[in-house]
Amino acid sequence: MSEIAPIVLNVNGAARHTTALGGDTLLTVIRDQLLLTGAKRGCNQGVCGACTVLVDGRPVRACLSLAGDCQDRRIETIEGLGDRPVMRALQQAFVAAAAFQCGFCTPGMLVAAFALLADSRLPSEADVRRALSGNLCRCTGYKKIVEAVLRAAHALADEAVA
Amino acid sequence: MASNPALFQSPTLTEALDLLAAIPGARPLSGGASLVAMMNAGLVEPAALVSLTRIPELRGIRVTADGGVIIGAATRHNEIAADPRLCGTAAVLPHAAAQIAGMAVRNMGTIGGAIAHADPGLDFPPALAAAGAVVELASAAARRRVPIREFFVDWYATVLTPGEIVIAVHLPKPKPGVGLYLKHARVSGDFAIVSVAVSLARDGEAHVAVGGCGPVPLASAEADGIVSSDLSASALAHAGDLLTALANPVDDVRATADYRRLLIPRMLARALNDCMAASRSVA
Ligand SMILES: Cc1cc2nc3c(=O)[nH]c(=O)nc-3n(C[C@H](O)[C@H](O)[C@H](O)COP(=O)(O)OP(=O)(O)OC[C@H]3O[C@@H](n4cnc5c(N)ncnc54)[C@H](O)[C@@H]3O)c2cc1C
Ligand code: FES
Ligand code: FES
Repeated sequence: MSEIAPIVLNVNGAARHTTALGGDTLLTVIRDQLLLTGAKRGCNQGVCGACTVLVDGRPVRACLSLAGDCQDRRIETIEGLGDRPVMRALQQAFVAAAAFQCGFCTPGMLVAAFALLADSRLPSEADVRRALSGNLCRCTGYKKIVEAVLRAAHALADEAVA
Repeated sequence: MASNPALFQSPTLTEALDLLAAIPGARPLSGGASLVAMMNAGLVEPAALVSLTRIPELRGIRVTADGGVIIGAATRHNEIAADPRLCGTAAVLPHAAAQIAGMAVRNMGTIGGAIAHADPGLDFPPALAAAGAVVELASAAARRRVPIREFFVDWYATVLTPGEIVIAVHLPKPKPGVGLYLKHARVSGDFAIVSVAVSLARDGEAHVAVGGCGPVPLASAEADGIVSSDLSASALAHAGDLLTALANPVDDVRATADYRRLLIPRMLARALNDCMAASRSVA
C-alpha cells in the first residue's frame, strides 16, 4: 500500500503541485485537484476517448495513465490548447459545422483532431476517420465532426498560403 | 475507488527486477492500457507497481550484426507501426500494430505488456507467431529465451513466472517477401474476432498463425510446411482445416465459436492470396 504522496505535474506549461495515491489516474488528479474538467470521465476503461489529453505532444488516455507515472512528462489538456492556431481553427469549424450536440465527447475529439492536424496539415477524410476512431460520440453520428475537422484543415491550409 | 499500490519508477533493469523479486504481489507496469483498465474496474489490486517505461534498454528497435531485429519490451505500438526496418517478411508486425485500437491506445501500449497480458483477442501474439519471434525474459535470478509459439500456455497465461518480465522480442533477419495481417473485427480498433498473420518469403518459406480462436495463437509446423510448398486453393484449404482443428474458440459478445471456426479457412486463403498479389506487384 502506498501513502498519499506529493507529485509535481507539468500541466499546460506550469508546474502543478498535487498529491496522489499510487493508483490514482492522471484523469482523477487533473479533474479533482486541478479542476481542469475539460477531459471527461466516460468509461474509465480506455474505450471512449472522452479523457484524451496530450502527453509529450501525443494523444493518450488520461484514465489509463497513472498520475505518479506522468511526473516528468509534458501534459497538455484542452484548457491549455485554446490559444493555438490549430485549435482555434478547429473550434471555429466545430461551431460552423454544428459538430456537437451534448458536447461530452467534444474535448476529446478536439484533442485527437489537434494531434492529427499538428502532424499532417491536409488529411483525407479516411485519415480523419482513422485518427478519431478511438473517440466515441453518442449524439452526432460523426458526419459533422469529420466535416468540421476537414473544414479546419482547409482553413489552416488557406491561411498558410495567404 | 482507486486501488492503492505503491508505484516505483525504476531507472534501471536491475533495480526493477530486484523490486519485483522483493515485493510479493508486485506487478510490472508498461503502457497501463490493460493493467490500469483492470485496476479501474476493480479486477486486480496489485500490492505494488514497477514502471518499466523509463528503462533505456527496454526501449526501441535495434538491428543486430547478423540482420536480426530486437524490439525492446517497452516499445510502443505506434513506434512498431512506423518502423521501416520491419520490412519484407517482418512487415507482418507493423501491419498488425497499425490495426491495434486507436491512436491514443497505440501511443500507450507496449509489445511486452501486450504479450504478457495474453488476451486471446490481441494482435501481436499471432503476428509474432508468424514472424518466428523469440521472447527474451529476465528475472532477478536469470535470463532465458522462449520461442513465441511456446510462450502462451492458456487463457491469459504465459510461461512467465512471478518476478519475471519480458525484456525483448527477437526476430530473425527479415527475408525479401511479404508480411500481412488480416483482422476481422466489428469496428476498426476493436479486438479481433478472428485474425490471420502471414509471413511469405520470396523463396517460398511461409509461416501462418491465427488469433482470436482459442487461448493461444493457432500455428503448426505442418500448416507452415503445406503453405511453404503449395499455395493452390486445395493446399490452402488443407492448411485451413489443420488450423481449424487446433481452434478452441468461445462464444462471446463479438461472435459465436462456430462463426470463428467458419472464418479460419476463409481468412487464411484470403490472406495468402493477398500476399501473392502483393508479391507480384512488388516483383
Ligand atoms: C480501448 C482499448 C482497445 C484495445 N484494442 C486492442 C486491439 O484492438 N488489439 C490489441 O492487440 N490490443 C488492444 N488493446 C490492448 C493494448 O494493446 C494494450 O496496450 C496491451 O494489451 C497491454 O500493453 P501495455 O503496455 O499497456 O501493458 P500494461 O497494461 O502495462 O500491462 C498488461 C499486463 O502485462 C504485465 N506486464 C506489462 N509489461 C510487462 C513486461 N514487460 N513483462 C511482463 N509482464 C508485463 C502487467 O503486469 C499486466 O499484467 C486495447 C486496449 C484498450 C484500452
Ligand atoms: S474515460 Fe478514458 S477512454 Fe473513456
Ligand atoms: S455530442 Fe454528445 S457524445 Fe458527442
